[in-house]
Amino acid sequence: MATASSNIKGFYRQKKKESGIRKPTSTKSDKSSLLHAATLGSDFTPPSALVSHGSPDLKDDYDKNEDVLRQFDMNSAYGPCLGMSRLARWERAQRLGLNPPKEIEGLLKGTKVRSECLWDGCI
Amino acid sequence: MTAMEIDTEKNIQRKHSTYQSLDKTFDIQNEIYRGQQYSQIYFARLHTMRTLLYSLVTHWKPHVPVCTVLGLEEGKECIIVGTLYKHMQLKPCVLDEYSKERSAVPLVKPHNFMHPDDHLVLEDESGRVKLGGTVLSPSTYVTGGVIALHGKETTAGDFLVLDVFEAGLAPQIVPQLKSREDKYVVFISGVSVGSSTSNPLQFQLLVDHITGHLGDEQEQGIAAEIVHVVFAGNSVEIPLGLLNGQNLASKDQSRVSEAVQVLDILLSQIAVGVSVDIMPGSNDPANFALPQQPLNRCLFPGSRTFNTFNSCTNPHCFELDGVRFLGTSGQNIDDLKKYSEARDELEFMERTLKWRHLAPTAPNTLGCYPFTDRDPFLIESCPHVYFVGNQDKYGTRILEGSEGQMVRLISIPKFCNTGLAVVLNLRNLECHTLSFGAQPSTLKTFNDA
Repeated sequence: MATASSNIKGFYRQKKKESGIRKPTSTKSDKSSLLHAATLGSDFTPPSALVSHGSPDLKDDYDKNEDVLRQFDMNSAYGPCLGMSRLARWERAQRLGLNPPKEIEGLLKGTKVRSECLWDGCI
Repeated sequence: MTAMEIDTEKNIQRKHSTYQSLDKTFDIQNEIYRGQQYSQIYFARLHTMRTLLYSLVTHWKPHVPVCTVLGLEEGKECIIVGTLYKHMQLKPCVLDEYSKERSAVPLVKPHNFMHPDDHLVLEDESGRVKLGGTVLSPSTYVTGGVIALHGKETTAGDFLVLDVFEAGLAPQIVPQLKSREDKYVVFISGVSVGSSTSNPLQFQLLVDHITGHLGDEQEQGIAAEIVHVVFAGNSVEIPLGLLNGQNLASKDQSRVSEAVQVLDILLSQIAVGVSVDIMPGSNDPANFALPQQPLNRCLFPGSRTFNTFNSCTNPHCFELDGVRFLGTSGQNIDDLKKYSEARDELEFMERTLKWRHLAPTAPNTLGCYPFTDRDPFLIESCPHVYFVGNQDKYGTRILEGSEGQMVRLISIPKFCNTGLAVVLNLRNLECHTLSFGAQPSTLKTFNDA
């Protein structure tokens, strides 16, 4: 199978979409631990392979709003996100006195965004 | 010819009290299941209790810093708050069925799953830490309670507990005991109509006493002071052999509904004269998971016509003349008995009040609805009367809190086994029992020696 090995890169396309959780700033860049990703969204820095470099891909299946909402989903301070709609989770956070950012409520009630958390349908 | 005069009967009026149901938080009608798991209810529980404990620990040990589990530093004394998890090797695990080796330990021990090697772990969103030291005794605690611990991390990575802080009794609203007169509340549980151990005559005697059909004027006068009746679960027992998933023959169908029909007749006899609450229990035709929803009113075609009849949730919370009652049909305490130990049922009840949670083992080992936005079993306001049904024996005492709270704890025994009902006086919260016996007289024979 000599031919297969030479074409391996074409065989398995390595194109990775600009997905993954990106944080605007990170203090511990190399001490990231994937195990903590689900619980400490604020300290997680994904490996550089998952972060897009250069110009943004405009054909993304999600946009800035979705990114903000995903950060909200992953923030463990507001509790687990799975099994609740984002708005219900925001309202729960509000009721428990956690002061979730008002802009999230605005996004969820106003614009056309996904009402379910990022794991919905995947788990 | 003078008309004969019938002696006018003296009417004895039953006393009246104001009743208000506070069961709204246990109602799941408006809940929608969206595939959520139990992490949501644990989060609601941890967050609510932690906010409360953070405010209380500042008075407990003001100079000790508070940190999260992940923020622990070795050797540094601090306070951590989290949910307890008790690792129990004898706790039945569904995976045991699949284990290749059969150990000498039987798969399920019915009564109590404690073991000397049980250990406690404290958990919050950031992580969990094993608890060490001798201050915290695993036999007293169960999974699901939220507490604050003062201690420090050891080199082994455990948390050495130096001191424990529980939330303690919740704030209590002082009841305005307006009436200076005696008014009684009757508690019965485990009537088990339809079971082989229940004696229908005993229950009929109870109903007749409450409705004033027994005894002379004096006894009727006592019965007239009963203002409320509570059935704390297991009012019927449907023959289990019939409920095996097979289609029922028509004669079996009537057997299934017989017990409920008899109960309905007796309840309607009570409901004619006094307000009655009926709570579902573990054997009743209600849902399994807590909070159990009210028994469907279609089961009580006779009783439901009376506005004095209330089908309630389990747990049940209500106010009578300003006195706050909170109680369950027993599942919460029965589960604590399996996973921890105490002197008696009253001590288990005291612990649930001090942890401010009716059923800490839910949802771990006690079936529970997966709430997302709240934990309805958290006790926000301390009741004046706390009752638990379907226990083995009667017990009662007053529990005092650190802020002057006073709670009457009542352990209601199973009526079908003991013939005991419990009576509480609203005026002074004193308790006594009503005993009903219906033994046939024994025939004595004299034998020649």
